[in-house]
Amino acid sequence: MVGSPVLFVAIPLLAAFIIPLTGMMWKNSVRVIPGLVLAFMFFLSISLMGYVNEHGTIVEVLAGWKPPIGINLVFSPFTGFLTTLMTFLGFIVWLYSYKFKRNVDFEPSMKYFMLLMLLVTGSVGIVLTGDIFNMFVFIEIVSISGYGLTSFYTRRDSAEAAFKFLFMGAIASTFLLIAIMIIYSQLGTLNIADIAEKMPMMDHKLKVLSLVFFILAIGVEAEIFPLNGWAPDVYTEAPGPIGAAFAGIVVKAAIYASVRLVYTMYDFSGAFDLFIIIGLITFIMAETTALRQDRLKRMLAYSSIGQMGLVMIAFGIGTKEGVYAALFLMFNHAIIKSLLFFSGSYLVFNKKNKYIKHVNGMGKYLPITSVLFTIGAFAIIGLPPFAGFWSKLAILTAAADNKMVVLIAVILIISILEAVYYLRVVNRIYFYDKKEKTEPKKPSLNALVAMISLGVIVLVIGFYPDLISGILDRAAADLLDKGNYIKDVLTLNK
Amino acid sequence: MDIIILILIVFFAGAVLTAFSEKISTLVQDILFLGTLIVPAILFFTGVEMNTDTIISFNKVPLNLGMTPLSYYFALIVMGLAVLTGVYTVGQMKGKKRKGYFYLNYILSIGAMFGILMSKDLVSFFIFWEIMTWASYLIVIYNGKNVQKIGIKYFVMSAIGAYAMLMAIVLTHSLTGSFLISDLISGFGSWDHGMQILIPVLLLVGFGVKAAIMPLHIWAPDAYSNSPMSYTAIFSGALSKMGVYGMVIVFLALLTKVPEGALIRDIVAWMAAITAAISTLYAIKQDDAKRLLAFSSIGQLGYIVIGVAIGTPMAMLAGLFLAFMHGVFKSTLFMVVGAVEKQTGTTDFTEITGLIRKMPWTFLAALISIIALAGIPPLGGFVGKWMLYESLIQSDHFMLVTLVFFSSTAAFLYCYKILFGFFLGQEEKEWSHVKEAPALMVVPMIILSIISVVLGTFPQLIMKPINAAMTFYGMPDTYGVLWKESMLFNKWGSDIALTPIMYGIMAIFIVVAIFLFFRNRSRTRYVTTKDISTSGEIPKEHENLTFTRGFFQPFLRAVEPVMRKQIDKYMLSFAQGIEDLFEFTRRIYNGNGQSYAIYAMIFLIILLVLGKNLFG
Repeated sequence: MVGSPVLFVAIPLLAAFIIPLTGMMWKNSVRVIPGLVLAFMFFLSISLMGYVNEHGTIVEVLAGWKPPIGINLVFSPFTGFLTTLMTFLGFIVWLYSYKFKRNVDFEPSMKYFMLLMLLVTGSVGIVLTGDIFNMFVFIEIVSISGYGLTSFYTRRDSAEAAFKFLFMGAIASTFLLIAIMIIYSQLGTLNIADIAEKMPMMDHKLKVLSLVFFILAIGVEAEIFPLNGWAPDVYTEAPGPIGAAFAGIVVKAAIYASVRLVYTMYDFSGAFDLFIIIGLITFIMAETTALRQDRLKRMLAYSSIGQMGLVMIAFGIGTKEGVYAALFLMFNHAIIKSLLFFSGSYLVFNKKNKYIKHVNGMGKYLPITSVLFTIGAFAIIGLPPFAGFWSKLAILTAAADNKMVVLIAVILIISILEAVYYLRVVNRIYFYDKKEKTEPKKPSLNALVAMISLGVIVLVIGFYPDLISGILDRAAADLLDKGNYIKDVLTLNK
Repeated sequence: MDIIILILIVFFAGAVLTAFSEKISTLVQDILFLGTLIVPAILFFTGVEMNTDTIISFNKVPLNLGMTPLSYYFALIVMGLAVLTGVYTVGQMKGKKRKGYFYLNYILSIGAMFGILMSKDLVSFFIFWEIMTWASYLIVIYNGKNVQKIGIKYFVMSAIGAYAMLMAIVLTHSLTGSFLISDLISGFGSWDHGMQILIPVLLLVGFGVKAAIMPLHIWAPDAYSNSPMSYTAIFSGALSKMGVYGMVIVFLALLTKVPEGALIRDIVAWMAAITAAISTLYAIKQDDAKRLLAFSSIGQLGYIVIGVAIGTPMAMLAGLFLAFMHGVFKSTLFMVVGAVEKQTGTTDFTEITGLIRKMPWTFLAALISIIALAGIPPLGGFVGKWMLYESLIQSDHFMLVTLVFFSSTAAFLYCYKILFGFFLGQEEKEWSHVKEAPALMVVPMIILSIISVVLGTFPQLIMKPINAAMTFYGMPDTYGVLWKESMLFNKWGSDIALTPIMYGIMAIFIVVAIFLFFRNRSRTRYVTTKDISTSGEIPKEHENLTFTRGFFQPFLRAVEPVMRKQIDKYMLSFAQGIEDLFEFTRRIYNGNGQSYAIYAMIFLIILLVLGKNLFG
């Protein structure tokens, strides 16, 4: 083993404290150190994935207190996959925004990079942690760095967006805490594996109540309808790359949390239907709303919410194919949506309000960025030979195997809307004339590298899905094997 | 390496190389472009063998490629047209902007069509289908005119079709556990009844969009007339045939096994017939050659689909034969219009006149393909149409045959319009500078015209592959039996064969024409449209007195009630209504934090109330 999962949390937190100090000595360190930390986390998780494939799940016990009493981190194929994805994206976001605010003084950039690092750390923590109270703590870390990043540009609108986020986040954490209290008062434990084992003993009414509170709380972060009102504002007002970080990292973590609840902790089969219903409503509402947006980032935000609805649906199907499809969708969404956010923010760079009409004619001025945006748009619509197609095929196949004909039809009909609003933008990029006189900003080298590497992944996975399907298969099997999870964590006790 | 994969690699790598070679020089780009089309064609005609499977093994969905007799037949159309149109394209696109973009999508769509035909499983079929769709979409919007309306309309209709198909594909997978087309066909008979209806219908919707069958045709007129003509030749000649290809499989292999098959056949045939009739009327109405041909294409595809849908051996034969012929003559016509557009800058009948002496070869190509289109012997269209009528009468579809006959006769009107509008009539000074199109454009047109003459005379050349295709899907062997039993080739009466009569009539026509030509040559006087001596008024310079202005007004007045209802408008207003509905959902996100908190509380209450039911 190269390192231990605890480094995922320890190193970034340590770095966050050190950065202000080193920043006094060497200003560029506020940019470099977060990047190094994120790169380290990415490589750590890759090497741990290799270890996990051979030796099985790693359960890391902190401070010698064994579960169910102590805190533990679980690095299984499933959580490992998500960790790798998140740290990779975190690194890419860092790479993209390396020159962010370079010419301004170092105070804002220090805040930006620290908060970005904490955002990734919190999300990774949510995924890795083995007990629900720690999950609450990490969700708070994510939320607070999220509030900070949203109000980064100290403007009226961003303050408003951050306040809405804070407001909803506060509701969420209240209910989350209540739910945790209910569980603790009933079962006397906070460890997920232990809860899962003892769950049948819990009073039925309280079980339902706690699950409802959990869903409400985590649903806010997971951007399910109708709890996602804050999300479009945040995506619009936060700095460009943060949209990608939210779509690719934070929401994934929240989805993970809700999935862990339903698949491992609780034993309700009805919860799967709830997933499908919630997912479907979210999907329909978000995609129809996205069609009517006139701002680019807002459109991307709604589209992102819609994709998350699709992920919920896939998890709700509940079979191995369903989970496989959901993980594939998460992977694709993380890569593609980041690509869209990255290239999209260059297409509307420095424009007031960032309307869709600002992309007019950009194909001529920013050819590479435009092509990348187009690839991203085609991929997210699900056109072959791009990556999005395989996940779409996977979810539809999973639904068909469960005889959900109506579900397939609805997903496909709504997908047409998705195609419409993305193609409208692509058409504008290439076939409209640019009206504004301002020169479009050329992407800097690091941003270009970040975008191109995402674009290459989209194409490579599109042509050769097998690169990832093995990992996804193992992850899906791992999630569904509840008994194994409990055993892995609790046998440490003996 | 397997030859099919090699061809696909040549296509896709060549497409990318061609796109990027724009920076080097246009000559290199043109050569690369032609090479990318010709090399696969050579490889295909020399190397691809029937019924050999190539499996690209993916973990979850293995892709199977291979050729069947049916796909061979359609691949003949695609590869042949691709090369000929490719040569033409180089001539036509000379000096145009964004050639790299155009060539890229051009090659991609042809490679995708080849892929569709070589697919033995539904997933690779769908993959190539979608590549074809987006590549052709990118060409439809290439002109940059009205892209949001025309492009999105095309894409939405294509997406409706493709997603219907995708739904059928995943349902098939859930029923048979595999994506193979052969498994779909063999397992189909044993499914439950609902699926036996649902899956063919979904597939037909998917194919019907590309074959432009009412009410799924609304994208076609705009898309056909807005792409550059060199692509429309492919679009109408080959791409639309992919829909026909799919339909053939559905009708031959699936619907024969269901009792309701007959009903579906009749419905599709009727829709195709109505499509043919109405679009012919619209074609007559057009003053723009591109739009005229676009509508005419839709009408001709209607005939093909009727034949395929009726599905008796003779009808199928007629449909497939017409599919080939349509590919040949309609792409020639689109090329002609493209050539006229390139030389004169417009395609409006009411502006151009008298090009016959300036563009004689183009005229010749137009003449031959129009004769073929109108179904006048001895050209290919005649054979196909005759067999179609005969098969419809034999299978007791008398109403249908009346409708087809009506539209086919009405088609003469627009055929006349093309010939007269562009090439005949008085000459105008305005067009005296026009020259014949460059050789790169003329040669493919002439070759295609020759092909349509040859196939009209020797239809057995392609009857053989058609027969192989039909027997592959379980139809009786018709080679030499059926098409010779058709009235057309049979001995008439006791021993009078029709073919000599046909050629006799032709010979008389030609002799008379030559006679008249030589007799009148010395007396020919070339006049302009302004050379009018009867009315007593001298026409002004700006007055448009072109022959073709207001052509067929009385006829159009007579059929106007039929054309008043346009599906297009209903669909557009439906789409508008849907969008307005979404405006309502958008308002749910009203930007007010308090409302969001209320939503959260409502959500909580709903969950608590429903909790009992949901969680048992």
